[in-house]
Amino acid sequence: MLIASTLDDALAAVAAGARPIAGGSDLVVGARHGKAPLPASLVAIDRIAELQTVTETADGGLVLGAGVSHHVIETHPVITGHFSGLADASALVGSPSTRHVGTIGGNVMNGSPAMDTGAPLVVLGATVELRSTTGTRTVSIGDLWTGPGRTAAAPDELCVAVHLPAPPPRSGSAYVRLEYRRAMEIAVVGAAAAVTLDADGDVASISVALSAVAPTILAVSGLTGLAGRSVADVAAAAAEAAAEQARPISDLRASDRYRRHTVGVMARRAVEAAARRAAGETIAVPVNRALGIGAVAATPGAPS
Amino acid sequence: MTVTEPRPTNDAPRPRFVRADGPDKVTGTGRYTADLTLTGVLAAKFRYADHTHARITRLDVSAARSMPGVLAVLTADDVPDVRYGPFVQDRTLFARDVVRFEGEIVAAVAATTAEIAQRAVDAIVVEYEPLPVVTDLEAALAADSPLVHEGWESYGSADPIVRDRNDASFSSITKGDPDAAMAAADLVVTSRYVADASHAAPIEPRAVLAQWEGDKVTIWTSTQVPYDARAGVCETLELPANRVRIIVPHLGGGFGGKCGFHYEAHVAALARAARRPVRLVFSRREEFLAPDRRREGMVIDITTGLRRDGTIVARTGWIAIDNGAYTADSGFFPQLAAMHVAGPYRIPNVRVEAHLVYTNHQPSGSVRAPTAPQACWALESHTDELARAVGMDPVAIRKLNAVDTGAEGPSGQTYDEIGLQQCIDAATAAAGYGGELPDDEAIGVAIGWWPSFSAPSGAYVRIDGDGSGQIITGAQECGTGAVMTLRQLAADELGMQPEDFQLIYQDTSVAPYDMGATGSQTLFNNGRAVVAAAGQVAEQLKQLAAEQLEASPADIVLADGQAHVAGTPSRSVPITELAGIAAGGELLIGHGSGQPPGAPPLVGSSCVGDVGMAAFIAPQFSCHAVRVKLDRDTGVARVLEVSTAHDSGTILNPVGAHGQVEGGVLMGIGQALTEGTRYDDDGRQRNAAMLEYKLQTCADAPTIRTTFIEIPTPDAGPRGAKGLAEAPNVATAAAISNAIAAIVGRPVRQLPMTAERVWETIADAAEAAAQDGVAS
Repeated sequence: MLIASTLDDALAAVAAGARPIAGGSDLVVGARHGKAPLPASLVAIDRIAELQTVTETADGGLVLGAGVSHHVIETHPVITGHFSGLADASALVGSPSTRHVGTIGGNVMNGSPAMDTGAPLVVLGATVELRSTTGTRTVSIGDLWTGPGRTAAAPDELCVAVHLPAPPPRSGSAYVRLEYRRAMEIAVVGAAAAVTLDADGDVASISVALSAVAPTILAVSGLTGLAGRSVADVAAAAAEAAAEQARPISDLRASDRYRRHTVGVMARRAVEAAARRAAGETIAVPVNRALGIGAVAATPGAPS
Repeated sequence: MTVTEPRPTNDAPRPRFVRADGPDKVTGTGRYTADLTLTGVLAAKFRYADHTHARITRLDVSAARSMPGVLAVLTADDVPDVRYGPFVQDRTLFARDVVRFEGEIVAAVAATTAEIAQRAVDAIVVEYEPLPVVTDLEAALAADSPLVHEGWESYGSADPIVRDRNDASFSSITKGDPDAAMAAADLVVTSRYVADASHAAPIEPRAVLAQWEGDKVTIWTSTQVPYDARAGVCETLELPANRVRIIVPHLGGGFGGKCGFHYEAHVAALARAARRPVRLVFSRREEFLAPDRRREGMVIDITTGLRRDGTIVARTGWIAIDNGAYTADSGFFPQLAAMHVAGPYRIPNVRVEAHLVYTNHQPSGSVRAPTAPQACWALESHTDELARAVGMDPVAIRKLNAVDTGAEGPSGQTYDEIGLQQCIDAATAAAGYGGELPDDEAIGVAIGWWPSFSAPSGAYVRIDGDGSGQIITGAQECGTGAVMTLRQLAADELGMQPEDFQLIYQDTSVAPYDMGATGSQTLFNNGRAVVAAAGQVAEQLKQLAAEQLEASPADIVLADGQAHVAGTPSRSVPITELAGIAAGGELLIGHGSGQPPGAPPLVGSSCVGDVGMAAFIAPQFSCHAVRVKLDRDTGVARVLEVSTAHDSGTILNPVGAHGQVEGGVLMGIGQALTEGTRYDDDGRQRNAAMLEYKLQTCADAPTIRTTFIEIPTPDAGPRGAKGLAEAPNVATAAAISNAIAAIVGRPVRQLPMTAERVWETIADAAEAAAQDGVAS
């Protein structure tokens, strides 16, 4: 295994056929569970400084280096403040130790349909920067995933950054998931929403995406016509659309029928929470704990 | 009676108690079995069955044996032809002709590395003729069911065991005339409940390391029952007990899952064949699939006849318990399950029948309070159905019918001083039962019971010349702190401090017999042995002090490290000085065992398949009151607070006792909501991994309040103590069920009550309500 200290070294290794590894929380754990043996050739990218940075752009957007950890995302004031849905998601990943080793780039490129950060990245309009020794290109996050565990990246391309555009004024986002326990959990279903409110407090724009109900993260379509309606109406319509468009499977975690129902519930709650944030309310990250959504709220006032 | 102050889990201070093994475990210097190594050690791997029920038509290990680095490959042909089992001798070390579950061992390999051992395991050729797979409990009891053991009639079994075909052990408890009483009852309520199997899931997957020196073998193993493990090795490898030494390093939890004899003989046989030390370390997946110690699935039918005022007049029950493919220590489960379905109630007319049913699942065995959480869940959910049927408060119907001091229970036992009624009062008061709650919250209440287990046990106590002490005990510490508390008992007997003693334990060649960390019996029985052994040393010290102080030995008091004359503390001599004197003469050595308490009489009942579980020695009682919040849209239930009250007699170690209750409650929450084994149609486990078998985490833990109702119990353990470690695991799932039912309007009839099952129950209730609306 090569330990790369510069991006160029890493790109050269990837071009030569090495698999990049940062936290290893998918690759190593998967190998231990017999999913796939560890690749013969690995390049460690966790020590490359330029992949670790969170940079605010002049217009209020954000560039997350691919090696930025879930722990950084869940605690970074700009992310928790303006890209809250993403922070909600990172805060729910695994355990504190998983969140310290797991990275946004790894999460995105692993391409699991049950990933937590995927749905918020979709509703926040993220793009992914892919680089190889021959050049750089940018892909919209929705176009990145081509199937479970599959991406549009070429074998010699490394994800180096995730770009988030500036959120519009009076907007907010949230990610909510259904979980059976409050740590070491994977989404049964999840939903993210980004909401922009108009001057009357009604919905000016709405975007919803779903986890664990399709082969890839699913962007809910047909919501544009909801502009101008009340938050309650939009939340109900989004829930209905989410349940309708979901293509869930039955597995050990849930039946397709239960997933279809609960993804609607999660979508409604995500829209409601995003709208409250858009209206200026501070809801602590993650929404699942602050509002007890998904797992039910603890006693009011109790630490959650 | 004294009631200790409630001590909420997270805040209230507790008395200082430093566990002797605490610093090792906390700092990481403690060594567990998998940490150990020996020069030349080999790695062991097992070849497991490829089918859940099949006849082996060809087994060829020649390719594996010839692989470089492979030093031993064993099958049934390489070990004595011995069938073993504590109740039914239906098992062999390696499959002989037929495999009966997916974790059955067909062959074992020892090689220089784990990778080579695995390649050798894969190179073993096994061909099979599949046999019909038995998984359904009721179908397995039918006369035309395929048999899991064609040769069942030829097996030996313990005397009281009643067997028939796939029914490996049948028990019934009958009292009065339940049919007549049922016919005369004002109201009859019938319920069916189904519990899925679950797992002990200790944090340490098991490991075994064996080394021969001449004709003697030393085995380091992660077992809860070292003497049982030794007996298993001796029986299956045909060795006398004095040639087998079992040593248990620190044990990484057990919860019953490491009771019984497991792989010590396999590894010892490999080490003998390879002429090298051999170590086996299980993966988490193996820990799920192979041991004969999962918590048994059950089907439970209960019918109760009542008078309009809520008085229970009759109860009948039918229980099918999933034994799995072999009978581990599960032979006593039917009678114990029958006791828990009858329940701690004053019922004059009872008939409960219970079957232990062979299937092609992993074998069942003692996991913390075997049969009780499931049976209590069914019975106590049923009890709330009774309350709804007669329009009574669930707590009131329990107070009316529950046993009390001097009352007769369902098996004809009349109880000495017991504190069940006080437990109900204390737990419900601590929970604020009856107060206003939001409409998505409710408090569910359940009561439970559990016997103390009386068994022989031994210990030595000695004081060396410098005045320091050693307790050499057969007792096994599985994390509960029970062994740690022995220092306190010895210190109290000798007027010394717990820190003055070292514990020498978990070595069968050094200490006398003990049953092990099973049946909550450690302090109950080994405490008696240590007190007796320390008492002998105390007598020696008093004799020496009497000579020094020119007083009668009967007047000597041992306290604060001194021996002094009663009433005259200034006439004293330090114990260290007496120890120095003794070192030059008769050494200070005590040994103890004591007479285990006997079983109480049963009057008016009759038991078929009586394995001694219908008479509860020093019975423990509990009440759990659990506040649950339910997300109606998803069926996700969250436990907010658990208020418990326990009568486990005198509490000797409050810190350890609270820890046991809190752990038992959290385990109970897991059983209630998230922990359940899922099987495919062939009886293979589908969720044999920590991601899909969902234990509760610290983040899920609710506030837990505990009150101990301390009633010194006659015929109990030291100072009136009863057992404790299993009792807190009994009633939690039942109380959660009753809280959910109170919110939803009906119980969830399958355990675990997963979010999806709760959601389906909500939907069923809504549908029924809609149909009622149409009908009216």
